[in-house]
Amino acid sequence: MTEAELREHMLRDPAPGESEAGERAWVIVREAHAGRDRVPWVERHSRLIVVVALLAALAVAAVSPPGRAVVDTVREKVAETPATEAPLDRLPAPGRLLVVSASGPWVVRDDGSKRLLGDFEDASWSPRGLFLVATEGNRLVTLDPNNGEVRWSLSRDEPIADARWSGGGLDTRIAYRAGTALHVVAGDGAPDAVLAENVPAVAPAWQPDSHVLAYAGSEERIHVVDVDSGRELWRTARVGGIRQILFDEGRLLAVTLREIWVFGPHKRALFKHVARGHSILSVVLVPYSGVVFADYDEAEDATELIFPTCSTSGACLLIPDIHVYRGAGRVGDLTSSPDGRWFAAASPQVDQFLFFRRLPRLGKVVSVSDVTREFGPGGKGVEPFPRIAGWAGAPAD
Amino acid sequence: MPRAGRDERAWVRGAQAGSASDLEALFRNHWPRAYRAAYLVVHDSAAAEDIAQEAFLAAVRALDSFDRRRPFGPWLHRIVVNRAIDWTRARSLRREVGDDALANSAAPGDPPTRAISEGVVGAVAALPADQRAVIVMRYLLEYTPGEIARMLSLPRGTVNSRLRRGLDALQSRIREEPA
Repeated sequence: MTEAELREHMLRDPAPGESEAGERAWVIVREAHAGRDRVPWVERHSRLIVVVALLAALAVAAVSPPGRAVVDTVREKVAETPATEAPLDRLPAPGRLLVVSASGPWVVRDDGSKRLLGDFEDASWSPRGLFLVATEGNRLVTLDPNNGEVRWSLSRDEPIADARWSGGGLDTRIAYRAGTALHVVAGDGAPDAVLAENVPAVAPAWQPDSHVLAYAGSEERIHVVDVDSGRELWRTARVGGIRQILFDEGRLLAVTLREIWVFGPHKRALFKHVARGHSILSVVLVPYSGVVFADYDEAEDATELIFPTCSTSGACLLIPDIHVYRGAGRVGDLTSSPDGRWFAAASPQVDQFLFFRRLPRLGKVVSVSDVTREFGPGGKGVEPFPRIAGWAGAPAD
Repeated sequence: MPRAGRDERAWVRGAQAGSASDLEALFRNHWPRAYRAAYLVVHDSAAAEDIAQEAFLAAVRALDSFDRRRPFGPWLHRIVVNRAIDWTRARSLRREVGDDALANSAAPGDPPTRAISEGVVGAVAALPADQRAVIVMRYLLEYTPGEIARMLSLPRGTVNSRLRRGLDALQSRIREEPA
């Protein structure tokens, strides 16, 4: 086949499913276009306006005190996104939300029904949402999320934390910290082995559906290890102050106080950093190598949720990062829905959980109020604010 | 100015002003190549649909800030190809399903009249992802090696060598196909 013939084949003939997929996609694209909020001229040229306003403000501020007011006005340009409030009578997307309150872990179904599963400090989902792993003091248990029934448990001499479950089918693994030792135990409770000693208090992260684990070591590197063979596959360069690790398929993200780093076996790149006086409270992976992160401004005591328009692999839309939301206080616990179309956040200062639609069109916000009372029946409202600890798919029937 | 370019700018302008018919013209004009490019890179019709659809949704989101002096196609194609490459890399790491399952995942929708020959699809699918992407960009999307290099942020020599190796592999594979 010549180059011309190859070109002709590709250009002339449709790919399987092309026209039907086009009809389906057109409906969604048309709806997104019809429902979009037209950006007024002022917004479209906001960068130019801000630059001009800043220059004007600087000039005025140099000669008159009222100029400071102009600077403040420009600084406050980022608008707060209005949220529509709703009781927690349903989730905006299919699946089950895991919430950990002072009472213990709760499973919230998409019809809004909630079940408290026992007196545990922390919990996380198994890979398919069939089980939970929960910890309390020196004890680790696996639970049936439907009724809280304990499947198996183990105890260690030191406090257990940061249990994370991975793998597929019956061949699963749970990584957890006992004191400063990182353990890996098979999903059925045995065998259990120490993978590393003297690890910092950072939750490890599994490569999705695998037995490959990334964990922060004592020397400020992240180690990527095949836990079955114990072989280290690769490790990152040093990164000080790691607070969160995320595995985006082949890419590894390390989150520090003010930076998000992307690593590959032979790559290190600074993906995002926030300004001095700001801190990154939480990062969540979203489909197509994207992330959403929470940028907390200490001086303003406010958090912005930001959706970078570059993916972690470097593909970029030619538009600025999207500022999804701005809210009072610290907004964190970012969690993606199982279908990737929504993500959730916790906002303790206003006692709300927030749900943001990401696909097919970014924009809709649903807020759930009175969260402390919802997850602390009979409480006096002084308990720690409930945490969003995961969002799993609907239960298999 | 070529008529196609003038049409496209008019469609973009109309879509920015809220015209659904102009958006539809833009969509109908670009969907086949966007979907086909994604399909040839990922070899999975459901994923190709998601990738091409997501690229158009990104375009709708960015419509108001889009510079009408720039052509729409390369901007859309860059998103499609980069996301298709991301998806392929992710799949190769995830290994959720075997090749047989993937081969069977094509949607049964299109009329049986004519589709890209299975030989071409299979031969392209057998290439490494990096060669697949440049072959698709060169022969389906019709970009020059220099344009491909800029769009994928690669040295031009790398693009040329991937094209050469990909084309050689395609030709030998298609020659081996039983008649």
